[in-house]
Amino acid sequence: MHIPENYLSPQTCAVMTAVMVPVWIMSVRKVSKELPKEKIPMLGVGAAFSFLGMMFNIPLPGGTTGHAVGGTLISLLIGPYASCIAVSVALLLQALIFGDGGILSFGANCFNMAFVLPFVGYAISSLIAKHVKSEKGRFIGAAVGSYAGINAAAFCAAVEFGIQPMLFRDSSGSALYCPYGLNISIPVMMLGHLTLFGIAEVVYTVAVYAFMRKAQPSMLADTGIKAKKKTSPAVKLFLAALIVATPLGLLAEGTAWGEWGADEIAATGIGYTPAGMLNGFEWKTLIPDYAVSGMPEWIGYILSAVIGVAVLVIVFKLIAGIVGKNGADEVYSR
Amino acid sequence: MNLQIMKMLRRLLRSDAELNRSRGKETQVHPALRMAAAFLFVILSAVSVNAIFTIAVLAGALLMTAMKKAREIPELLKAPAAASLLSLLITLPAVFLGSPATMLTVTMKVFTSVLILALLNNHLRWQEMTAAFGTLGMPQIFVFTLDMTMRFLVILGRYSNEILEAVSLRRIGKKTWKNAGTGGVLGSTYLHAVRAAEGTSEAQTCRCFRGEYKNYRKYRFGIRDAGMIALMALVTAFFIYTCVLAAKAS
Repeated sequence: MHIPENYLSPQTCAVMTAVMVPVWIMSVRKVSKELPKEKIPMLGVGAAFSFLGMMFNIPLPGGTTGHAVGGTLISLLIGPYASCIAVSVALLLQALIFGDGGILSFGANCFNMAFVLPFVGYAISSLIAKHVKSEKGRFIGAAVGSYAGINAAAFCAAVEFGIQPMLFRDSSGSALYCPYGLNISIPVMMLGHLTLFGIAEVVYTVAVYAFMRKAQPSMLADTGIKAKKKTSPAVKLFLAALIVATPLGLLAEGTAWGEWGADEIAATGIGYTPAGMLNGFEWKTLIPDYAVSGMPEWIGYILSAVIGVAVLVIVFKLIAGIVGKNGADEVYSR
Repeated sequence: MNLQIMKMLRRLLRSDAELNRSRGKETQVHPALRMAAAFLFVILSAVSVNAIFTIAVLAGALLMTAMKKAREIPELLKAPAAASLLSLLITLPAVFLGSPATMLTVTMKVFTSVLILALLNNHLRWQEMTAAFGTLGMPQIFVFTLDMTMRFLVILGRYSNEILEAVSLRRIGKKTWKNAGTGGVLGSTYLHAVRAAEGTSEAQTCRCFRGEYKNYRKYRFGIRDAGMIALMALVTAFFIYTCVLAAKAS
């Protein structure tokens, strides 16, 4: 679901970023006020789960791939506003270092995966948990909420793709950016997410949510247990296992719909490469597509996962330190 | 001004206190091994011709940093961030000359090297570092100079801090480097340093100290030391592998 560079017009990107600015501001304010300082480093753990979830590609018949996001999972763990921040930071890291998702389309990607997904998912799962007051109700809520969240996000992405050829064409009538209209983008995106990718999101969310309830219940927003200063060894081991397992994502061959490179798009059936993609903005990343030239792909994947998780944990520990200094007491968390 | 001196003193004295607390608990890797490993990783990542090796070392260093306590991470990252920024500015012309990869690679190597040394500095107390230099075969005069420097930093730091406090109490208005009589403070500190050095020399002569350091802390070769040696061997083998790959590619 990561929208690459030059698939959306600069105008669309600017609008989506402008929409996200108040969301980010609100999320930062809410998190500073409501999230206990001890839980701020947990944002890094949550962001790490989201980052790793997005590395497991799942194939769909037809040659496309997709992945879980984990936005609803983080919102169940530490709240939707914290989830917005965590997923935004994970997406920023992916765009800057790994080239997964564009820099200009960062606002649009955050709107879909850091705003729509976690908030829709959290709202629905809370509603269900409120009416089905039991442990089962929480898990049903997590499942339904995560499914609804990812599909809502996919729909938004499909609309963003689909309106490009309507609004931005050159003098010969060819699309300047994404060439597929709403009549194609919506069915294609929704088919994948209503089936395999939605199920993947449900499985990932429920599995990790159940694990966290057992391994570190203090991390969850709904248990009321005071946050511990250390991340439990079980959680660390689980993260390590996910990192080692990331090369499984390489088994899925093919490029996700809407994530083709400028050299691939002509072969998808339209017969030309849109001018906006040929002459558009390009950002040189350190580890493009989680691979390093000259090395087996699985090594690049594992290194990328290690770097991603480490950077996310470091960033949120730094934020925890700043918030702690500005607050009444310091945060000494490991 | 006082704050800067007190910050430096705090770091050195905390190191001292932590060393005393850790006496009798020699279960960690031998400091000399840690130091040798750090130098090896820095040298190999600097000479590597393939970005993959540096990325692998960077991943390991970042993972170690992520495991540190939240309050230690800002101190750890200051030096690597500053060095990388400087490196970025210096190599920026490479982007305009059509070689942005050069800027990225050099900056990444600088960041990795400085981060490894920052992690070493964070983990080892300065006394352990001095002892490790001795174990690694550094000339005794080098170890002696390093040890004396660290000790006099604390002594002179305390002395100049007291003078600055006296100046603050006697002044009216805001104190700056200009009006604090910095020349006088530095001059007094220098004279104190000369007297202290003469006294130290006389005391060492009386005690028959000839500038040789013996490490009286008993370290037993343990499984962690073996693990560190294995890691060094593995990293060296990986470095050779990446060099062979690069040679084949070219």
